[in-house]
Amino acid sequence: MKLTYSLAALAVAIAMPLPAVAATINAVMYKNPQCSCCESYANYLEHNGFKVDIKPVNNLSQISSDAGVPADLEGCHTLMVDGYVVDGLVPVDIVKKLLTERPAITGITLAGMPTGAPGMGGEKAGPFIVYAFTKDGKAPTVYATD
Amino acid sequence: MAPGQAMFTGASGPLTPVWTYDGTVPGPVLRLRQGQPARIVVENGLNEDTTVHWHGIRLQNAMDGVPGLTQPPIKPGTDCVYEFTPPDAGTFWYHPHANSLVQLGRGLAGVLVVEETEPVAVDRDLLWLLQDWRLADDGQMALGFGSAMDAAMSGRVGNVVTINGTAPADQSARAGERVRLRLANASLARIMALRFEGHRPVVVAIDGQPCDPHEPDDGRLVLAPAMRIDVMIDTQGDPGKRYAVIDDFYDGLAYTLTTLAYDSASPLRTHPLDTPLGLPRNPLQQPDLASAERQEIVLQGGMMGGGKLAGVGGMMGMATPGMKGGAAWAINGMSMTGDGHAGMAPQFTLPRGATCHLTMRNETAWWHPMHIHGFSMLVLARNGSPVTHRQWQDTVLLAPKDTIECAFVADNPGDWMLHCHVADHQMAGLMTVFRVT
Repeated sequence: MKLTYSLAALAVAIAMPLPAVAATINAVMYKNPQCSCCESYANYLEHNGFKVDIKPVNNLSQISSDAGVPADLEGCHTLMVDGYVVDGLVPVDIVKKLLTERPAITGITLAGMPTGAPGMGGEKAGPFIVYAFTKDGKAPTVYATD
Repeated sequence: MAPGQAMFTGASGPLTPVWTYDGTVPGPVLRLRQGQPARIVVENGLNEDTTVHWHGIRLQNAMDGVPGLTQPPIKPGTDCVYEFTPPDAGTFWYHPHANSLVQLGRGLAGVLVVEETEPVAVDRDLLWLLQDWRLADDGQMALGFGSAMDAAMSGRVGNVVTINGTAPADQSARAGERVRLRLANASLARIMALRFEGHRPVVVAIDGQPCDPHEPDDGRLVLAPAMRIDVMIDTQGDPGKRYAVIDDFYDGLAYTLTTLAYDSASPLRTHPLDTPLGLPRNPLQQPDLASAERQEIVLQGGMMGGGKLAGVGGMMGMATPGMKGGAAWAINGMSMTGDGHAGMAPQFTLPRGATCHLTMRNETAWWHPMHIHGFSMLVLARNGSPVTHRQWQDTVLLAPKDTIECAFVADNPGDWMLHCHVADHQMAGLMTVFRVT
């Protein structure tokens, strides 16, 4: 009986609609080699179920631009995760929402380095507005606020 | 010299459009003699204004090449005559001081060697002008000069480094020689830390000014944009062997810049020359620290800058500082952006002949090579520790949170610039002006 129960639990886990939340999520972070807050953010993600492969690059603005991030909404690093671009210090719940909902967008971004954002420290001065962007030339839209 | 359009071969073969002096990247090596008057005619073949700054040369203010501040810009199709008598022998360079990020970034730079009155005893006198290019996959210059992210972080660091305008092939070497190698970093933003495997280069001059000969810390020659270092290398490698020259400045991004390839000839001499390595001193006035006038400049802003620029350059806390051509940086709370223009109010004024004891404090999270026009500064201390080797520099690299103290005699009247030589940083506000009466 016990063996049967165990197998059933395993089957449920496989069928879970949120595999991204249940398993380790692999991500690649492109960051400026001299920017330290990105590493704090990577550490924050790792504590929330991600495995982050950090790649220091000197041409981050080029990578970010090639990834479709609008120039006026650039974050301080660019994360590639499960087919999406996540730019900047986006709170992990919003990242997981993206990976669960899987909208038809290129990615999401939190512009700049707002204080109080994950990895930054300090007091939050206002709501974080996370934008969704695509590569088809359409204007970015608000994806989530936090 | 005629800046104009030309082509140059990048690492991967395709031709890259560049802007040049006399059709070459870098521009021709100008060789002047110490104490001998020079006359240089600059014809502007570009479609935009330019000027030429004779970087590190202590010259008359009117010849310094800062548009608006020391001269009117050179309009397209017109020319400008620069005349000066270089007081110091050493390794200097020249570059535009107009639309600097684009003009320097597209290749306008060259070395200016001022030769000693008595030749220095070396077997070979070599020159590496290092330039850093950000090229797209097709070998063309990547667009986006002036990206806000580059401006607020480490500047437009590229992906291809050239030596004297070509992708570095092997550098031929012969055993048993004494080589003077003049290194000049003409990059927009790339800082380099060069290690010569199997060799012990001795620093004999920094920014053209002779210093006490010394081996650098950890054997790394740290060369920020606009800096020059002259080293003496006694080539003690084995004939037929190869030794890498590695740049490992950026964590996780070390690469082999080039390789010293020894030919198979037997050593020129079995023991290195025992003649002294030091170069003859230049006629610099010794600062009088006891009666010095103290000035301090504080560098502020940039990413992770703690919002210090709020209210200065319109940084709103949420956005990247420096968006839409705004300021990303400030000196003592004031952002001077661009390349220089008329009516820049001096941050401080020095009576002629006074010694200035200048403290530069970097409050930012980024590196800044601070360049002073018209003077060489004796570097006194870094973060409270004395700087030895009698280093006179026109470009002093500040690491994040560094405090540097230096001194110079204000013996040259005029309005002079003091700015970060990461071109993006200068354009975005990391610049100031001081006056010598």
